[in-house]
Amino acid sequence: MCASVKYNIRGPALIPRMKTKHRIYYITLFSVVLLGLIATGVFQFWPHSIESSSDWNVEKRSVRDVPVVRLPAGSPLPERGDLSCRMHTCFDVYRCGFNPKNKIKVYIYSLKKYVDDSGVPVSNTISREYNDLLTAISDSDYYTDDISRACLFVPSIDVLNQNTLRIKETAQALAQLSRWDRGTNHLLFNMLPGGPPDYNTALDVPRDRALLAGGGFSTWTYRQGYDVSIPVYSPLSAEVDLPEKGPGPRRYFLLSSQMAVHSEYREDLEALQAKHAESVLVLDKCTNLSEGVPWVRRRCREHQVYEYPQVLQEAMFCVVLRGARLGQAALSDVLRAGCVPVIVADSYVLPFSEVLDWKRASVVVPEEKLSDVYGILQGIPRRQIEEMQRQARWFWEAYFQSIKAIALATLQIINDRIYPYAALSYEEWNDPPTVKWSSVSNPLFLPLIPPQSQGFTAIVLTYDRVESLFRVITEVSKVPSLSKLLVVWNNQNKNPPEDSLWPKIRVPLKVVRTAENKLSNRFFPYDEIETEAVLAIDDDIIMLTSDELQFGYEVWREFPDRLVGYPGRLHLWDHEMSKWKYESEWTNEVSMVLTGAAFYHKYFNYLYTYKMPGDIKNWVDAHMNCEDIAMNFLVANVTGKAVIKVTPRKKFKCPECTAIDGLSLDQTHMVERSECINKFASVFGTMPLKVVEHRADPVLYKDDFPEKLKSFPNIGSL
Amino acid sequence: MQSWRRKSLWLALSASWLLVLLRVFPLLRLAVPARPRAGAPQGWPHWLDRELLQSFSQPGELPEDDPQPLPAPHGGSCDWGACFDVSKCRGGGLKVFAYPVAGPISDTQRGILASIESSRFGSVSPEEACLLLLLSLEAPAGECSPLPQQWNGGRNHLVLGLHPNFCPQTFQLGQAMVAKASPTVDTFRPGFDVALPLLPEAHPWRGGAPGQLGQHSPHPGVPLLALAEERGGWRTAGTESSACPRDGHCEQDHGPEQTHPGATLPNATFCLIPAHQPDALHFLQALQAGCIPVLLSPRWELPFSEVIDWTKAAIVADERLPFQVLAALQKMPPTRVLALRQQTQFLWDAYFSSVEKVIHTTLEIIQDRIFGAPAHPSLLWNSPPGALLALPTFSTSPSDFPFYHLQRGSRPAGRFSALIWVGAPGQPPLKLIQAVAGSQHCAQILVLWSSEKPPPSRWPKTAVPLTVLAGQRKASDRFFPHRALSTDAILSLDAQSSLTTSEVDFAFVVWQSFPERMVGFLTWSHFWDEARGGWGHTAEKANEFSMVLTSAAFYHRYYHTLFTHSLPKALRTLADEAPSCVAILMNSLVAAVTKLPPIKVPYGKQHLEASPPLAPGDPDPQPPAQDCINQMVAEFGYMPLVSSRLRLDPVLFKDPVSVLRKKYRSLEKP
Repeated sequence: MCASVKYNIRGPALIPRMKTKHRIYYITLFSVVLLGLIATGVFQFWPHSIESSSDWNVEKRSVRDVPVVRLPAGSPLPERGDLSCRMHTCFDVYRCGFNPKNKIKVYIYSLKKYVDDSGVPVSNTISREYNDLLTAISDSDYYTDDISRACLFVPSIDVLNQNTLRIKETAQALAQLSRWDRGTNHLLFNMLPGGPPDYNTALDVPRDRALLAGGGFSTWTYRQGYDVSIPVYSPLSAEVDLPEKGPGPRRYFLLSSQMAVHSEYREDLEALQAKHAESVLVLDKCTNLSEGVPWVRRRCREHQVYEYPQVLQEAMFCVVLRGARLGQAALSDVLRAGCVPVIVADSYVLPFSEVLDWKRASVVVPEEKLSDVYGILQGIPRRQIEEMQRQARWFWEAYFQSIKAIALATLQIINDRIYPYAALSYEEWNDPPTVKWSSVSNPLFLPLIPPQSQGFTAIVLTYDRVESLFRVITEVSKVPSLSKLLVVWNNQNKNPPEDSLWPKIRVPLKVVRTAENKLSNRFFPYDEIETEAVLAIDDDIIMLTSDELQFGYEVWREFPDRLVGYPGRLHLWDHEMSKWKYESEWTNEVSMVLTGAAFYHKYFNYLYTYKMPGDIKNWVDAHMNCEDIAMNFLVANVTGKAVIKVTPRKKFKCPECTAIDGLSLDQTHMVERSECINKFASVFGTMPLKVVEHRADPVLYKDDFPEKLKSFPNIGSL
Repeated sequence: MQSWRRKSLWLALSASWLLVLLRVFPLLRLAVPARPRAGAPQGWPHWLDRELLQSFSQPGELPEDDPQPLPAPHGGSCDWGACFDVSKCRGGGLKVFAYPVAGPISDTQRGILASIESSRFGSVSPEEACLLLLLSLEAPAGECSPLPQQWNGGRNHLVLGLHPNFCPQTFQLGQAMVAKASPTVDTFRPGFDVALPLLPEAHPWRGGAPGQLGQHSPHPGVPLLALAEERGGWRTAGTESSACPRDGHCEQDHGPEQTHPGATLPNATFCLIPAHQPDALHFLQALQAGCIPVLLSPRWELPFSEVIDWTKAAIVADERLPFQVLAALQKMPPTRVLALRQQTQFLWDAYFSSVEKVIHTTLEIIQDRIFGAPAHPSLLWNSPPGALLALPTFSTSPSDFPFYHLQRGSRPAGRFSALIWVGAPGQPPLKLIQAVAGSQHCAQILVLWSSEKPPPSRWPKTAVPLTVLAGQRKASDRFFPHRALSTDAILSLDAQSSLTTSEVDFAFVVWQSFPERMVGFLTWSHFWDEARGGWGHTAEKANEFSMVLTSAAFYHRYYHTLFTHSLPKALRTLADEAPSCVAILMNSLVAAVTKLPPIKVPYGKQHLEASPPLAPGDPDPQPPAQDCINQMVAEFGYMPLVSSRLRLDPVLFKDPVSVLRKKYRSLEKP
């Protein structure tokens, strides 16, 4: 480039020797070249303002190259935080608007370097953790680069540690953000608030209405339901590799590992150590370590040196005392070690206390009770301590272990406030994965015996066996509690019989025609079903008496969350083949009932149609088999309960149907059914069916009692 | 020369153009606003020098913090740690002394005082108590009652007012906790004050009406929304969102519309409740009706919010986004609606349906604070049967209770303890011991010797340990939580009972499926006696039953703790006076907790022939027992017993198949 510039300077000397025509030509040419070069030069020396104004550029750049913003001394300052702020007073929900995904949109301001009038920086540009935090938000579903669509704004001004910034100037920097608007919908992250000598428990930077995600709030500065209390991140989380250690008894009952403990508290702790020398360990800073040993990773008791944080894994309870600040990074280390934190910090608002149930993972002891702490902890049952150790470790894994975890939990909490109807539940926040997998939350958990007056809706699935269907309808209509009969006509090639041909019965009879001959049509949640109880019955089940059906309904009322059916079946583990086997013989146990005749809650129709796991529903429709087994799996899986088989066994196939039998048919049937069980067990990932040894009979069944005085005399007759 | 000049000129030109092009291209790219990859949002930059960034806190910075612990700035306010002296509650746990009310006393106030006194928290002297309770400072004339002598700045005091307006707060409540109805969010001190529900004037003080929900899922055709009206009452609206404009008031209803007078309960899936305090009354109505409360930015604290997870039963939405709320309600999946509805009913029934429950819940919350770690876990507060019926003194681990096995993914332990009560005749039940010890599920046999005669020194050799406990000759003693009872399941027996091993085995297997219920062999049923105008019970064979005799029944050992510590004192005394009453009380207690009937299993005829029916099962009604059931109803405030029409038999019971196939074949002996 230098060469070409030189050449251009020499240029004019050549021009006079040329013809006028050429001269004009060359002059034009050279001026173009010159102009181009000037433009290039300008661009070369003034590149950053253009580049940084475009947010889309993700090319790797240096933090040192960010644009500098000069804050005049008189630039406006935000008000101090408004302590009375609540979501419905200070937060502008209109920005969040209607959102089908129920997810807030978060915008991040681009990074700038702020300097005061004399060019002195206001703070360190950005810390590693705050950069990680913004990266985590930027990589999450919450992020938007469209400032006009954002509901929450996160400044890139790093206020994680109040000690690294100048308060007034930082506030001025906040105030000049393009959408600041008194801090509305702005979220600041701060882990180390306050400074000497009085160490405020919330960030001292005036921030007006901005939300504060702060580590170390006290109940006096925390705006319940507005601010978010977050942990103080422990850099050791990333630096040290600490394999998990399961819960259970450990070498020490109680351990204190913090270095800067106030002398009064240290006296209390030392007294404990003196009293329970075997089970209490109080550690302190090491005074005589050789050079080069990272002293943050060592703790000492007299001359004994312990590795930190490894030593935390040797104790069941670990004291987390407040220092000058309420929030302590030690809490994170302690949780990670599966040690139950004993929190001694009056009025401290525990991290994420809005959603986390700290009673399950910690013990909070008032500061003035520190000397009694041993006795207080002794009163906790062993089993509960182990539960707490497990919970502590889980809290660390889910919400403490990385800056990303902290950032996402904070946004989730704010999201839950704005879209409360889509909020995570207590269990989703607090239950460790092992509990989540093994537990069952029964959708019909309220113990309730529905009134008999409601009755039930019988649903008959039929294809073309009209004669048999009419007999079933006539039989079922005799049951006193029947309130409606629904015939699901599954044959698209043939019309159902004319209205006049149907049996006349005392309850409404409705025929539903289906679009396709599918077995799942029997379990569709038809609008016509008005009762909670549904009786699914095949069009060839004519042998059930009215007493048996009425009794079945009464049993369902006592077990409204279960399948209550007549023929029972069993699944067995075939040790030779190492797989499940279907069993229909006379067994002492039962784990399924056939839905050819079964009562159940209509909610299960909804579940079958819309919430059946995997491809089971389509698979059943394709194979035209096993819809009943699928229903048994579904109900058992969601309720964790067994079926109820009612009344003694009877022969279920109609006499005329048995003619076609043939042993081979029966055997292929059994093989197919076994296949279904194995298929479903693999889709569910577990075997949800529960085996029981009982069935339900009327109280006086086969008792010495006059038959005519029994409520259900006609039971079990063949 | 010419050619040299031309060449050099061309060289210069092309070189310049090359340079220009090279520099201008990126410039052009910048100048054109089109984005390089449309759609992909560009995020926070990846800095080249990320690794060089410094940590927000330098190692060693934290320890260098000024270690001076400063007293927390209290700002004239109180929190639990600062203003309550827990040391007074050492030993006996929470003991409450309620100051007598000066001047005329209302029925509700009398009820409150009586229920505190008779509860396990009750204390007679202010010195012994660790919580002093001052019943609302409201005097009838509107002036304030004077502060009691022991006031002491309000320390360890609870000022309880069931109505939101105390007497004008001219005096300093100081360090006293305040439990009042629907406190405003601004004055409420979380973790210290207690938020009570706003109760209607005529709220029953005991028992209380059950929830209105007859079925789990909403009836089809029921309106989606009911709106609380300012004058009280409800207005139901159709499902169209256009019916309700911005401010949450439905002025133009297109759907079927109905205005209900004051006291009736709303019949809708969701109940929209505006922000202001008087609407708190609506909240309770909605809860009772099983109508899911949708609270629009409430300015008052939800009742017992310290322990109740309201997100499971209500929706707190922003009043500024009514359309969004309506859209969300319409789209809410049935699973969530089902869960919310059921939770409203559970909460109503567990904590709100009577004044007594509200008071006990308040005290239970304070006791939980005193206990600290070994208090009710959240699960116990927020799932049936509720914290008032799940005592933390029994255990804090949900798996120890009979109610939470499903939620915890646990199951009851696979063995039982037989507890044999030997009464007056003092005959060691040798045959019974053999039959019970023969069960593969039996872990131990405990003989509760309550006879005047000394127990024999020799007992038959059994496969399981046999322990003799010295009883106190009181009928209630058989339900005492003896330390020796180590298994979840208890088989309660009388010396006169007669059972076979097969019957025991089958009954235990059934109990494992229903660990929260009683599983028994012989039954009683209760009935309403029109002629006497009271309840009666009978041992006659009938098509239904509501009680199983405790002379032979399986149940969870937790019910011993509940019987001893939660049943009102009056009823326990009654049990000692009329021994046949214990069965009724135990059945009522279990039914009150589970809301479900007990379970009957088959009982061989041969027992009935061999020995007279199990001791207290006398068919003819005995006057004291009759009183028992009515006194029980009076103490409970309602009839807790529930009837069942079924019996659980072995799957092949009396089926026409070879007896050899049957596991419990001896049950079928004629």
